[in-house]
Amino acid sequence: MPLDTSTYGLALLRVDGRRWNELRRIHGQIRTQAAADGSSYLEMGHTKVMCVVTGPSEPGPRRGGAAGGASGGAGSGGQSKDAEVVVNIVIAGFSSVDRKRRGRGDKRTLEMQFTLSNTLAATLHTHLFPHSQINISLHVLSQDGSLLAALINAATLACVDAGIPMTDYVTACTAGSTSTYAANDEGADPLLDLNHQEEQELPGLTVATLGESDKVVALVCESRVQISRLEGMLAVGVDGCKQVREILDQVIKAQGRKMILEGTVDKGTGLNDMDLD
Amino acid sequence: MASLKRSVESDPLAANISNKIYVRSTKSGKVQKIVREVYLRRDIPCSSKLCRECQHQMLIPKDALGKRERFSYPLFHRLISSLTIVILAIPFVLSDSPAGTKVFPQGHYLVPDTNAFLTAMDLFEQESAFYDVIVLQIVLEELRNRSLPLYNRLISLTKSEDKRFYVFFNEFRLETHVPRLEGETVNDRNDRAVRRAVAWYGEHLARIKGKDAPSIVMLSNDRDNLKKAKQEGIHACSLADYVRQLKDGEKLLDMIPETQDRDQIKEKRPGDNLYPEYFSMSKMMTGVKSNFLHQGIFNVSPYNYLEGSIRVPAFPKALLILGRENINRAVDGDLVVVEVLPKDQWKEPSTQVIEEDAITKNENPDAEESDDFVSERERKALQEEVKRTHSKTTEGHAQPTAKVVGVIKRNWRQYVGHIDQSSVSQSAQQGRKQDSVFVIPMDKKIPKIRLRTRQVSELLGKRILVTIDAWDRSSRHPSGHFVRSLGELETKAAETEALLLEYDVQYRPFPKTVLDCLPKEGHDWRVPQSLEDPGWKDRQDLRDLLICSIDPIGCQDIDDALHSRPLPNGNFEVGVHIADVSHFVKPGNAMDAEASIRGTTVYLVDKRIDMLPMLLGTDLCSLKPYVERYAFSVIWEMTSDADIVGSRFTKSVIKSREAFSYEQAQLRVDDSSQQDELTTSIRTLLALSKKLKQKRLDAGALSLSSPEVKVQMESETSDPIDVKTKVHLDTMSLVEEFMLLANTSVARRIYEAFPQTAILRRHGAPPKTNFDELANQLKVKRGLDLSVESSRALADSLDRCVDEKEPFFNTLVRIMATRCMMSAEYFCSGTQAYPEFRHYGLASEIYTHFTSPIRRYADLMAHRQLAAAIEYEAIHPSTRSRGKLEAVCKNINVRHRNAQLAGRASIAYYVGQALRGKATEEDGFVMKIFSNGFVVLVPRFGIESLIRLRDLAETEPQAEFDAENYVLRVSGSREVRVELFQKVRVRVTDQKDETTGKRGVRMELVKTY
Repeated sequence: MPLDTSTYGLALLRVDGRRWNELRRIHGQIRTQAAADGSSYLEMGHTKVMCVVTGPSEPGPRRGGAAGGASGGAGSGGQSKDAEVVVNIVIAGFSSVDRKRRGRGDKRTLEMQFTLSNTLAATLHTHLFPHSQINISLHVLSQDGSLLAALINAATLACVDAGIPMTDYVTACTAGSTSTYAANDEGADPLLDLNHQEEQELPGLTVATLGESDKVVALVCESRVQISRLEGMLAVGVDGCKQVREILDQVIKAQGRKMILEGTVDKGTGLNDMDLD
Repeated sequence: MASLKRSVESDPLAANISNKIYVRSTKSGKVQKIVREVYLRRDIPCSSKLCRECQHQMLIPKDALGKRERFSYPLFHRLISSLTIVILAIPFVLSDSPAGTKVFPQGHYLVPDTNAFLTAMDLFEQESAFYDVIVLQIVLEELRNRSLPLYNRLISLTKSEDKRFYVFFNEFRLETHVPRLEGETVNDRNDRAVRRAVAWYGEHLARIKGKDAPSIVMLSNDRDNLKKAKQEGIHACSLADYVRQLKDGEKLLDMIPETQDRDQIKEKRPGDNLYPEYFSMSKMMTGVKSNFLHQGIFNVSPYNYLEGSIRVPAFPKALLILGRENINRAVDGDLVVVEVLPKDQWKEPSTQVIEEDAITKNENPDAEESDDFVSERERKALQEEVKRTHSKTTEGHAQPTAKVVGVIKRNWRQYVGHIDQSSVSQSAQQGRKQDSVFVIPMDKKIPKIRLRTRQVSELLGKRILVTIDAWDRSSRHPSGHFVRSLGELETKAAETEALLLEYDVQYRPFPKTVLDCLPKEGHDWRVPQSLEDPGWKDRQDLRDLLICSIDPIGCQDIDDALHSRPLPNGNFEVGVHIADVSHFVKPGNAMDAEASIRGTTVYLVDKRIDMLPMLLGTDLCSLKPYVERYAFSVIWEMTSDADIVGSRFTKSVIKSREAFSYEQAQLRVDDSSQQDELTTSIRTLLALSKKLKQKRLDAGALSLSSPEVKVQMESETSDPIDVKTKVHLDTMSLVEEFMLLANTSVARRIYEAFPQTAILRRHGAPPKTNFDELANQLKVKRGLDLSVESSRALADSLDRCVDEKEPFFNTLVRIMATRCMMSAEYFCSGTQAYPEFRHYGLASEIYTHFTSPIRRYADLMAHRQLAAAIEYEAIHPSTRSRGKLEAVCKNINVRHRNAQLAGRASIAYYVGQALRGKATEEDGFVMKIFSNGFVVLVPRFGIESLIRLRDLAETEPQAEFDAENYVLRVSGSREVRVELFQKVRVRVTDQKDETTGKRGVRMELVKTY
């Protein structure tokens, strides 16, 4: 087994060679599935997720008991004025090291679905699509920490691809602290973007913000952490979200540029000044 | 449709990202492939004070990806500035003028590989050499996998400022990262990584300093690695070659362990292996899982070095392991895997005393390839055993036997011993030739250790510290290397240090970081006058109570004080006041960390090794008389029948009126002319304590016994002059009863507040089989029944074990019963079910330690938890983190035990010294009986010693041993009949024990009664 997170103090380097304020490599793609309304593929380090968005469409016949149980849904659904956001997460058995299969009713998956649909329902303009449903289907191909953050980012990309009106990008990342709760080390540094090993050993939280603002739309912390460290962690997390937004923005813009060059879409008048070479 | 597959090469950052791929197997035997990202960077400094380039670079820490701006955000400005300082605050470590040697006159930095640390960590801890060492990340990683203790030692070296050890994260630096090649083994790859790092350092420093740059020297014992290094043109030495270049190389050379020579000597001829080969790890694992092999801790019998035992869950009785071949290189304390032998080879535990020195006396340490592995004498000793077992009708007495097939984890530590004079050849005493000698460890359970040294003549007659390096199949004895010398045998300093090392007592002076945690006022610290002071917050003023303390004579660290006063309703108020240590020792600081490691204060005859610095232990915390002190008080309201009406806990300020010794207090109580208030209150306490004790005994509390003596020292020279047995006074049980009561009350309270994390103390009920032998002995010899169903039954039947003529008989039985007990242990309440909390000996449902926070860490934890329970202060996270508490409990259990053993060993040593040159005749009792000897306990000195048959007369007499009736009939050169529990007259003299080098007592049988 290689070194653990306790060696951080020796050279201020994390287990994978990053500094405290560095993101992992993020790679994103959109429009990966031609048949879907919107789709995306996102890698944050070795965490790899795929997202497919269908809708807004009329609620399918499957709705009701079956969908309600396994999927997270927000907005009040078919009968209401707002569109319902139904999130479904499938975690592949081969995505983690121990190859454990997670069933549909897995509590952690359900909770992530719920967080995701609440977050998106607040950002997507669901009031524009009464009596309809937006289906967001996520597949986790590989896990290496910061899973919820990767899911949120992938869903944002796919929603943009699907052309669903939304307030701004919802971008997420994780933040942690270099020493455990019990160690109570006062000099603990905050950490940005935890990988799996750090997530196992250190306290951490997931934060999602809206666009370039400081508005926090989701904040999940499942570990014990000293209250005095929280501010630092949150600050680093919010800053990380901004960096992620930059990267996602570039992904979208690159795709748009490509589509214009290929002639898939017309070059809008407003884009005259855009450099397409 | 677009393909999702992305070629890594197309990514502009690909060069900076690598993967670390490895395979690991889990406990359950699954194999997992782990892929981890590695981000490579250029901003990891070389940390040489010579290097301007790196120093400059560190001022502007760059981002790994080289593009993005550093984190900047106005709202959190405070945070950024503090973090920037942290980055700048990592100082450069490696000296700008490193020491040189003959070969490297311009100075050098060392880069040891993993093996160098594994084999010779002691060398690196030397003060005379080994400065400016670069520890590579890969080496640190490998070391951590191989040995956690060594890893921790290395980490503490990197933290020491004067040793200048620098951890270089070579795996993260772009230039030194080495991906594993196709078909390359992990070891080869790691060796290559080390060489790559050495080469890089060389180039890097040469670029800045040119020719004057210090050399970078790789230290390795791997010849292959050294050869490759030569080819690649980097400096490399083996450890031995390097040490020879040093000034005091000769001495240090001894510290390089044996094993490194193995490569050079080459494997011996295959037929020479003396011991069976160990099973492979996977074979043992599957065996243990499928229950045909068993795993446990190997223990050696204190009377027979060829007999070991191991407790495994599958058998109610311990498995016996007999003979050198079956023990198969296991050393006391190792975690081993054993295979049970077929039933026809099951035996009884030996009734014979076999001592290693007697049998292997004449072995030659050099002649390893002796013709016979199990020597003729050993074989004979064992055969006699077998004959005896076979000739007898074994009516279910036979115990299952087993043989060791593998060692999971060695529990080798450093051993204190001395060189066996007889193993030293004449030439070695003069020359400086390297020579093999045997070291006889102080601990009789540890086998002789073969040691190669050049300083035989200097080390003879000294106490020395050695470690075991290896035990090859081809070698009869383990081989080890010399660590350091403690001094002349039988000098007080050397023997005391030896004792402390043997029991792993931390005796070094407190470091500065710990002393910095003490109050600045030092001895002038006072309880603040103003009640407004924060120290008074939530503290009750109990200064007007008549409080006094009762302790042994000369006690300086006064933990506890008491008071009692009548209440208007006819009841009594009784208070126990404990030193408020938790006020001074805050959780998480250096002092707390040190105390938690030490765990307890160790009391030796002439010395006390404190858990807390003197200032606190004997002054600020100590509840000294006539001064105000902070205390933590437990106050009860009791009826005159000692029934508790109510209890409360509070932090307080007290002023003790008097510090009594037990004797003074007793005199005062007995003197009816003294009618002052303080004396009456002590009388009240005494009366109440007697009732409390009766209640406890009614509930089934055991009164156990162990021989206790006190060594009297001459006040000037502190030489021991006499030995006294301790006298029991009423006032002792007075204090004891109220302490027990306080501990129990506190235990209830903290368990109520923290059901998962309260720190408690339990004493398990002993397994019934533990008493089998004693019960049988009592039945056969005295016709007495020992019932062990409950502690109550045991207490009652112990009370019945009396001999009209011999008052000591009862105590003797109690002493023997005590040895059948389990030892009490600290635990964290979440780890056990409530019924398991029981304290068997005290017959209490729940118990903790609260009353001695100055000398026990567990009490300090209990104080913190109680303070949180009564909402005096917020609980500190480490005091409620179960993982932390379990680790603390584990440590203090070990420390507590070691402290007791060290204390006893110290008494034994001084008893030996006190008897030096005297011969007295004393009465003793036979405690244990073997076929060739018996053990006698002399209560007067609290010592027990073995009398062998051959000690009885000039020529060893014949003996007939009746194991059923525990009788040894000696005939021939001396006619005598010895039986168990018999009272005998012995002559006690002192004698220097050849085996352990300790002065001990020697007993001779004078007559039997």
